[in-house]
Formats: sequence, C-alpha cells, structure tokens
Amino acid sequence: MSRDNVVKIFKKSLWVFHLNTGSCNGCDIEILNVFAPFQDAERFGVKLVGSPRHADAILLSGPITREALPRALRAFQAVPEPKIVLAIGSCACGGGIWYDSYNIIGGVQRFYEILREKLGIEPPPTFYVPGCPPKPEAILYAIGVARGLLAKKQVAEIHIESLEEAMNRLREVITDEYHRVIEEYVLGKPLVRKVVLKEV
Amino acid sequence: MHSTVISKCKELIELLNRYGRVIEIHDGALLIEVDEYYLHELSELLHWKLNGYYTTSIGVDERPLNGSFGVYHAFVLDDYGYYVILYIKVSTGLLKTTSITPVIPGANWAEREIMDFLGIRFIDHPEPYRLILPFDWPDGIYPLRKDFPYNCKASVKDKIDEVVHGSTSTVKDVEELSSRYTLVPIGPYHPALHEPEYFELYVDGEKIIDARYKGFMVHRGMEKLAESRLTYNQIPFLAERICGICGFTHNTAYCQAVENAAGIDVPERALFIRSLLLELERIHSHLLWFGVAFHLLGFDTGFMITWRLREDIMNIAELLTGNRKTYGMNLIGGVRRDVKEENIEYIKRVLKNLENEFRDYMENIFSMNELVKRTKEIGILSKEDARKLCVLGPHARASGLKTDVRKYHPYAAYKYVDFRVPVRDEGDVLARLLVRYEEILESINIINQLLDNLPNTPLQAEYDGIPEKRLGVGVTEAPRGEDFHFVITGRDNKVYRWRPRAPSYNNLQSVPLMLRGEYLADAPIIIASIDPCFSCTDHVIVVDVRNGTRKRLSLNRILG
Amino acid sequence: MSRFKLLRKAISVGVVTEKYPYEPIEVPPGFRGKPRIDPLKCIGCGACVNACPPDALSIEDDLVEGIRYVKLFIGRCIYCGRCQDVCPVEAIKLSNEFELATDKHDDLYQVVGLRMVRCRVCGRFYTTYRQLENVLKDLPEEQRPYALLCPDCREKIASLYTSYARR
Repeated sequence: MSRDNVVKIFKKSLWVFHLNTGSCNGCDIEILNVFAPFQDAERFGVKLVGSPRHADAILLSGPITREALPRALRAFQAVPEPKIVLAIGSCACGGGIWYDSYNIIGGVQRFYEILREKLGIEPPPTFYVPGCPPKPEAILYAIGVARGLLAKKQVAEIHIESLEEAMNRLREVITDEYHRVIEEYVLGKPLVRKVVLKEV
Repeated sequence: MHSTVISKCKELIELLNRYGRVIEIHDGALLIEVDEYYLHELSELLHWKLNGYYTTSIGVDERPLNGSFGVYHAFVLDDYGYYVILYIKVSTGLLKTTSITPVIPGANWAEREIMDFLGIRFIDHPEPYRLILPFDWPDGIYPLRKDFPYNCKASVKDKIDEVVHGSTSTVKDVEELSSRYTLVPIGPYHPALHEPEYFELYVDGEKIIDARYKGFMVHRGMEKLAESRLTYNQIPFLAERICGICGFTHNTAYCQAVENAAGIDVPERALFIRSLLLELERIHSHLLWFGVAFHLLGFDTGFMITWRLREDIMNIAELLTGNRKTYGMNLIGGVRRDVKEENIEYIKRVLKNLENEFRDYMENIFSMNELVKRTKEIGILSKEDARKLCVLGPHARASGLKTDVRKYHPYAAYKYVDFRVPVRDEGDVLARLLVRYEEILESINIINQLLDNLPNTPLQAEYDGIPEKRLGVGVTEAPRGEDFHFVITGRDNKVYRWRPRAPSYNNLQSVPLMLRGEYLADAPIIIASIDPCFSCTDHVIVVDVRNGTRKRLSLNRILG
Repeated sequence: MSRFKLLRKAISVGVVTEKYPYEPIEVPPGFRGKPRIDPLKCIGCGACVNACPPDALSIEDDLVEGIRYVKLFIGRCIYCGRCQDVCPVEAIKLSNEFELATDKHDDLYQVVGLRMVRCRVCGRFYTTYRQLENVLKDLPEEQRPYALLCPDCREKIASLYTSYARR
C-alpha cells in the first residue's frame, strides 16, 4: 500500500497502540510526553489505546529482542487491517547501538524480513522517525506526514566527485619533479641526497 | 575528623588481614583474595556486624589472564567510607563455589546471573534456576565466556513456532513452582502484552498470597558488546542508553570507575558540571515518578501538573547539553561542553519558580484525605527486611535506613556542598512519596550552591593511555538508589570486563514481600512505589489459587 | 476545600500548549540534530568511522572504478556528535534539523563518493585525491614523492635502501 493510499483511507483520527519491544524507555517517555500538556496530540484526534484490536497504527520502539519477538508478532497480527507502523527512534529504524548483539533481532527492517520469509506476510506502510530519542515535536511531525498534512523533508543525498575535479586539485600541488623522482625509484637508482649508507 | 577516618581504616585493614591479603586498589576501595572456607564468616562480619551491606556479585572469565574464573563479591561499609571486594578464584575444572545466599538473601539474583552467563555452579543456592537467559537457550553455551563471539545470533525458529503453532514451551517454567502452589494450565498465549515485563500474582479472592517477577525481556547483551566492539570512549554512550530516565548516572559511574582504575584526576570544573547535570536528572526523574504514581492512584490532574512542571527541566537540559534526555556529556577524564555565564541566571530563575509552584501544589495534594488514606500503611517494608534484602535509595530511606552515596562516599563535587538526607521510619507508600518530595527540594538547593561556586579550570584531563589489568569501582547515587559499576581494564583501548548494576535490580527483590497480605487493588501503587523502570509496572497476571483460573488484567482494569 | 484551590490554580496557569505544527519552534544553539557531511570538504580519511559508536558511518571502496563511498545512515545514528569532534577538516557537522520522518528506508542515507589515486608503481587504488592533497601540504619537501606510492610499494622501496646501507 503506497503512501497516497494511506492518506485516502485514514481520513479521520488515528488511534495508536504503543508497543515496546525491549527499548531503554527513552522513546517511550517521549511518546507519553506527546500526550502531556505542552504538545497535546489529542487535539489532532490521536488517542493512546490499551488494546491492539482498537488501534489503527502501531508505535514501535525498541530493537526487538529475541524474547520480545513472539509478543511483537502477536501484537502485529492483532491490529486489524488496514494498519500503518511508525518506527520510533534509532533502535527501531536501524537496530540502534546494539544492532549486532546476540540477543537482538535488529529493528523493523529485519522484523519484516522474518515476516516475509517465515510467515509470508507483506509489510504494511511504515514511517521511520529517527532520533535518540526523537523530540515529541518530531513524533507529531511524523503523524502529520503519515496523514498527508505536512510535506516530507528528508530525502537521500548522493554526491559523487568527478575525476576531472579531483585531478585538478592535485595538479597544483604535484610538480614534474615528483614524477622524475618516482621514475628514478622505479629504475632502482638511488638518489644522491638523502642516503642512509651507514657502513660502506 | 580526618585523623579518625584514617585510624578507622587501619583498624579495618588489620581486621581483614586475618582472612587474606588486603590490597587498596584505589582511594576508597579494598580487595581481599580469600579462600572459600572463610566466605560465610566474612560475609556475616561485613554485612551484619560492621553495619555494612552487600551490594552485588560479579563473575569474570579470567582464563586469558591467570587460567581460572573469578568471582567478586562487593560490600559497602558506610561507617568507614570504604568498598570491600572479596575475590575468589574458581578453578576451570570443577567450576563450583560456595554461595552466600543462605547468609544474605539479597545475593540471590546476582549469583543466578553468574550461573547463567559463565556456567559456575553455586553450592547450596536455594533457587538455582535460570534468571536472564530464556529456558530454551541451549545448555553449555555461556555468553560471557571469552570464546563466545558477541554477534553470533541464535535462531528464531522456536520463537516463531510458539506464535504460529502455540507450542507450550513455558510449561517447564511453571512446573518448578507447582510443588508450592496449585498447578495452573497456561494455555494459548495472550495477545500482545503492552510491555515486555510483568509480575505474576497468586491470589485467594481479593488478597494476594504471593508474587513472582518475570522479566529480563530487555536483555540486550550490553556487557558482551562493551568487551568486543567498543573502545573506552564509546562506552559512555552505550551506558547512557541502559535506561532512558537515569542514563547520565550510568555514564558518570562508568567514567568514574575507569578514572579510578587508571588514576586520572578530573579537573574541578568538570566535576561541578557533572554534579549539576546529575541533580537535574534527579529532579526530572522524581517528577516523572510522581506523575506515574498519581496516574496509578487515579489522580490524572496530578499527572498533568507534574509533567507540566517537568518540561522546564527538559528545556534547561536541552540548553546545556543539546538533547532533552540523553546528555552525552561525559568522556573519560572530563566533560565535553561548558556552562556559559549567561545561562546561569536563567537556570536559577526557572528553578526558583519551579520550587515555589511545586511546593504549593504538593502541600495542597498531601492534605487531601483520599490520597493519604490510599497510601498510609500500605505495602510496608520493615527495617530488618530492608536490610536483609539490601534495598537501596529512597526505598531504603523510607524504611529507616540512613544510606546515601553522596554523603558517605562523596564523589564528583558533593564534598563541596551542604545538604540534608531525608529519612523516614514508617516504610509505607506515603513515606516513599514524602522522601522523594523532600529530595527534589534538596536537589534545587544543591544546584543553587553549585552554580554560585563554579571554579575556573580546564574541562578535560590530559592522560597518556590507560594501563591494563587494573580494577576500578565507580558508584553514584541514581534517582532510584546506588548505581555500582565495576571495571577491569584491558588492552587495545578496550575494557576487559564491565559490570553495571542498576539499583532496581536489588529493589525488585523486595516486591513479593511487600505484596503478601495486601489487597489486589493496592498492587499497582505498591509496585510503582519502588520506582522500577516505567515499562515494567504496566501489566500483571492474576492467578486465582482457589479455582485455578488465570486471567490477565491491565492495571487500569484493576483500578476500576 | 483543597480541591477548589487546585482547580483555581490550574485555571490560572492558562493554556501552555505549543502552536507546533502550525508555527515552527526554536531550538537552542548547540542542539544536536541531524548530522550532514559537506561533500566539498570531506577527504575520506575514516576518522569518523572509527569514532562512531553504532557504526552509522561506514566506508566502502570500489576498487574497480576507483571510488571511495562514505555512507551515513541516520536511521541508526545516536546523535552523539563524536564524528564532529574528531573530523580533521570539519566536514561533518550536526545541524538543527529534527523533522526527519520519512516513509522510505532508502531516504535515510547520505552518500559521498570520492575519487581514488592509483599508485605510480603497482597501479592499485590506495587513497583519495583529497586526502593526498591534505597530507602533501604538511609533509617536508623531500618526503613528498613517497606519498605518491601505496603503502606496500613504499615499504619495498624503503627496504631497498636498507639493503644498500648494509653493503
């Protein structure tokens, strides 16, 4: 399901279910902070529900430890279609600082690989919210992007240097003298200055 | 005063010399290598007779260093201001040693953890079951041994089978308890726990008979990661993410342990900045806890008020460090950023307003009869039980134990400030509320003193590399209690062994004792009053012993 | 009685909710937001890769085309700022941005490609043009030709000298 379809289907308020798969609680407290007086997500109709059956979206935090995997799978299957997933924090987006430890699955991407290979389930549309922890305003922004109210700002940036540009920088520094010196090395003739002849 | 302290230490060292060779590893910490034979006698001496208390046990795979395993038991002696560590060598062939749990019940979990991770057996341990690793972890594979690679991931096939086919892989766990209670069929799993940790309560009608804590779902393999992939200056960032609420204390305790081991002197301004941030974190953590406690008592207005007041502290933290919660300010030898002059006035003004408003609200709230009735004489922990189970922090101070790392083993800049340690004798939930309220006011007082006296020195110490094979102990007072870090330095810029022990580890062992005989409706506030990590207080499983049913309730349902 | 007092106080505080997202919010100076590599300054030395705790920065060399790719994955970044501390040319800096939500995983990458230099003797790629330029300006004059050789060839030439010395 593409992002435009998400906007079409979720026309009204979004009810969210908070799923903690082994995080340090930093992101969880920022999620609670979104419902506190200063940021107040309830103005936008977003409500924190206690049961996954009532929810439209899952707020996933934590790098998914091996112990939490069955619970995460069950919660995931319990949320009825159509659903979206918001991966909050750097642990959920990419595995976090412990992405290769022995007890960690490694974030949402690896979780989706397991779903696809072992259970044949296609992953739902996912919105990634990096940050450690992300500010409550960043989470509000993510909900706005998911609903299509705000424009997305983060895009990939790729910049590859051209060979001309690179060689031009060196042309001023390296003179022909260096090339001559190297040719002499290649031919094996020692230079007259800078000699280390200790015992002759 | 100085001379009495030194003479007390001499007397202590003479006393301990009878059991083995005593080495002073650094200022404030002693190490004795003892034979197993003296272990019970020495533990009784240190824990009961000399008025100290046991704090934790650490297991180390020392085969590359000296061909055996090592077990370290750490004790804290407040009266002398010293940490005493008992070191026992365990031979690779036999792999067993004496347990101190029969003498000190608080050592239960620490020894089980060593069994799980290193495979050392403790003779006479009353409950030698798995603690942290799941029971389907294969036997004979011990993660903390040096020959286990840190990134070797176990297969997840069994975990997925549990979900898809509903296999009864947890029956084994329950059978261990069935000799004491009615065997309860577990059946198919419940859909989705909100948090990955929970308590099991065994009830008879409305009264609780016993409780069991099932947790450690958040085990991320941090100690193994620190030994393998990370260098000395990267571990502070790992330590900060042990807990999102009290991360900076873990950061500081680790840096102190390495600085003590290597003999690095941190400049004074860095010490003052560290203490300032530690106190800010204490205020924010206690205000957060007040919000959660009020929410569990059904008083949501209180939740909103305390979290509104807390926002000012988060803004100050963001101004000083760049992030609301994970400060990332520590490196070995100092801090990374300075406190600017123009911010000091702003901080003082904000804290003054906070103090006035907070005092006003709290005096009002504590005079409400409903609150007092729901918290007075509920969940009592007596002084002897608190001492036996080695509880720490505000939990211990509310039961009459006068213990605070900042006063008795001063670290950072605490020896330059004047403050009071609030202690209460009742041991119930109301006492814990009052102790934390007074601590917030004391913290504001400490911050004002620190800001008035900032010295003018560089921010980082210069040092020439960290020598290897040194032991170091770094301890701080986290908002929840004493935070103990133990470090053995290694080579190639890496740590050989790092053991962080968070205070909730000791405090959680006291929950079953406090819950026995109480009503079910009081369970949420009793569990929350020890201030465990926020995510583990949300769900309970209720087992009715009389008719053998087992149902899962969320805390909101219990509150009604 | 105390309940009315509480209510009166709560009402007197007023509304504290921020106007975000209708109005932008200010972050304080020194805020640790998204890191960004300046593609014109980076020399490809790899100091940030060594310092990064979660390995969000990585270097991949394409030894066929001769391009060194410096990759930054902000999905795993912990916003600690150690890369900014250790970069010798101040190419990577933490900005003020925190609005980073996106729906595609690939959007979370920044890649900078730098051209590599061939060794004058064996012809293999060994470093980038920019790093060579950065190093050459600090080397004394007579040692500069050595920098144009890859480490293996340099070692071979140096051992050639010691064998002359022993004669």
